[in-house]
Amino acid sequence: MSGRTVIYNARVIDPASGRDEKGGVLIENGVIADVGAGVAKTTAGDVKIDAKGKAMAPGLIDLRVKTGEPGAENKETLETAGDAAAAGGVTTFVVMPDTNPVIDSVALVDFITRRAESVAKVKVLPTAGLTIGLDGLKMAEIGLIREAGAAFFTNGDKPVEDAGVLRRAMSYAASFDALVASRPDTPALSRNTVMNAGAFAARLGVRGTPLEAEWIALERDLMLAETTGVRLLADCISTARSLAAVERARKAGVKVACSVASYSLFFNELDVGDYLTYCKVQPPFRGEADRLALIDGLKRGAIDAVVSAHDPQPTEDKRLPIADAAFGAVGLETLLPALLSIALREEIPLAVALKPVTSGPADLLGLPQGRLAKGAPADLVLFDPAAPWACDRDDLSSRSKNSPFDGRKLEGKVLRTWVNGVTVFERG
Amino acid sequence: MADYAFPHRHLLGIEGLNRLDIETLLELGDRYVELNRSRIKHADVLAGRTLVNLFFENSTRTQGSFEIAGRRLGADVVTMPIATSSVKKGETLIDTAMTLNAMRPDLLVIRHGSSGAVKLLSRKVDCAVINAGDGTHEHPTQALLDALTIRRRVGDIGGMRIAICGDILHSRVARSNVACLNVLGAEVRLIAPRTLTPPGAAEWGAEVFTDMRKGLAGCDVVMMLRLQQERMDGAYLPSAREYFHFWGLDEDKLSHARPGAFIMHPGPMNRGVEIESGIADHKTRSLITEQVEMGVAIRMAVLETLARNAPDVGARNQ
Repeated sequence: MSGRTVIYNARVIDPASGRDEKGGVLIENGVIADVGAGVAKTTAGDVKIDAKGKAMAPGLIDLRVKTGEPGAENKETLETAGDAAAAGGVTTFVVMPDTNPVIDSVALVDFITRRAESVAKVKVLPTAGLTIGLDGLKMAEIGLIREAGAAFFTNGDKPVEDAGVLRRAMSYAASFDALVASRPDTPALSRNTVMNAGAFAARLGVRGTPLEAEWIALERDLMLAETTGVRLLADCISTARSLAAVERARKAGVKVACSVASYSLFFNELDVGDYLTYCKVQPPFRGEADRLALIDGLKRGAIDAVVSAHDPQPTEDKRLPIADAAFGAVGLETLLPALLSIALREEIPLAVALKPVTSGPADLLGLPQGRLAKGAPADLVLFDPAAPWACDRDDLSSRSKNSPFDGRKLEGKVLRTWVNGVTVFERG
Repeated sequence: MADYAFPHRHLLGIEGLNRLDIETLLELGDRYVELNRSRIKHADVLAGRTLVNLFFENSTRTQGSFEIAGRRLGADVVTMPIATSSVKKGETLIDTAMTLNAMRPDLLVIRHGSSGAVKLLSRKVDCAVINAGDGTHEHPTQALLDALTIRRRVGDIGGMRIAICGDILHSRVARSNVACLNVLGAEVRLIAPRTLTPPGAAEWGAEVFTDMRKGLAGCDVVMMLRLQQERMDGAYLPSAREYFHFWGLDEDKLSHARPGAFIMHPGPMNRGVEIESGIADHKTRSLITEQVEMGVAIRMAVLETLARNAPDVGARNQ
């Protein structure tokens, strides 16, 4: 890490500043010492790397990752998730609290932090349950846990159903200006469903998740965020109307940000095809109109974060009739390629398309990384923005291989990843 | 001011009292402090009058304080045992009031768990009613005794910066104190987690803070409130230890107040939850036991003042 590393002859893309130009990055002591057209082959340095015209961007920040650690290490550990992240150009990821035990105390937040520091190649930030054991009843020690380093508070995939509990928890969190994430879902409407409700689900003969399951919960969350003054992250919204609701609330002064799963931008309900259980996810792949509305939101900068929603599930939980199969898809390694493919196909400038995986989430969490700026940590990714490839789940580093991208063609490949100036992944 | 005629029949709350009303009571209270500190603590201004204590909520200190105040003024003091009374047998509140009224008391001291219940009773009786705490509404004698305590220490309350910290939402003490201190010209601050800050508190005439250190900056007096155990079960607050960490009064937080700032608490205290023991017992800065002493004096002042105004006062005094 010591000394100066010069990466030159690159296409330097920094969504935070909108920069997209030929140049390079100078790394000194794990920190970006210089960036831009002024960094060239001739720049003084101990190590020189020719980027060969490929693209250089801040390492990705992923706000929604599940591992199986602690409690279900057969699915994924912090170490294997770290490997997958490095291979996907993700240099910081946030882990969800729905493990066994649930991350809902200072001690467990501390455990995740220390464990990740010792085994994961990339930076891992813990979140904590908004309620104890995600029971939806008793709030966690939000103040103390925040001081212990939790990025935000969320009930994960178990929404707080009692509006009174949520209101008080949000109000309390607002005392500390803590961020609360909520994936809008109404269990009474989504219980035992398999995919998006509609004609296709009906044809397949499976129970569908109605759009209202998301809308009702989101409207409730937005109202409570408005009255309590809490900072809200509407986590993994998946419909046009949800995005419109978030934008409307934001315009009215509600402190709300939203995230979208990368698969919601890439797939629609028809991709579930012949009962593909790897495509069984929450929220489900929606209709094409919803997908296009989200892409439009990406173009307009209305989406604060695009997340992998990485949720590893072993084969035995997926190789089942679709109604019985587990929800979830791995996504750390396909987050960047999926976004690059969308950017290419939809003609979105990369500095725009990559904002919700770099400076967008960084600003939401107040992180110094996620930008190519002097003094920022040298968390970087070098990638070929248009290289075509076909995803093969057996090539994934993740311990679980449940990727809906399996067999799909993607454009954009990660070549090398640095964390604090140290190479953590290099394509052989 | 000595001949100022207190214009109210009841003392239901601080709201509705003006500065002269409050100062009249404080001055009389001041005189009773002297009486209470002398060897013969007796005045006969309420001789022949009947004071009934009606406490629908358990209370040791307030009930005892009113009893002592009444006795020192020479009144016949009766404390109705609610726990074993007909109230527990299903009698309505109004019926209880009518029954008591028929016994012709002169002064009725009432504490009730429901906001507004004392006012309701006051409409049904002929005697003077003193609110000894109704739900989460008002506890006027607490605010008056607090004001008396501060005044005796600092002289003029006007311009003092006074913080009220803790469970504002459920506190009748806080409501009465904000009203009283505002009338007396203090700069009042409320410090609490958002879950315990009442909606619209910013319109009470007090500045609202969530951060203790910021809120305590430059305060002359720090009033802590009692935190009920049931607030710490995860609904309003996650735990007692988290509460103490962020809102419990300890040396560090107190160091942000003005040097030598006074510490008050209406009691009973949860040591180690809302206040560190060492601070509660501070020899020069803690006014907590002094508050109890002032309680008796101010209640004597209130009883005497209202008895003077009781409608049949002339007939009975002859």
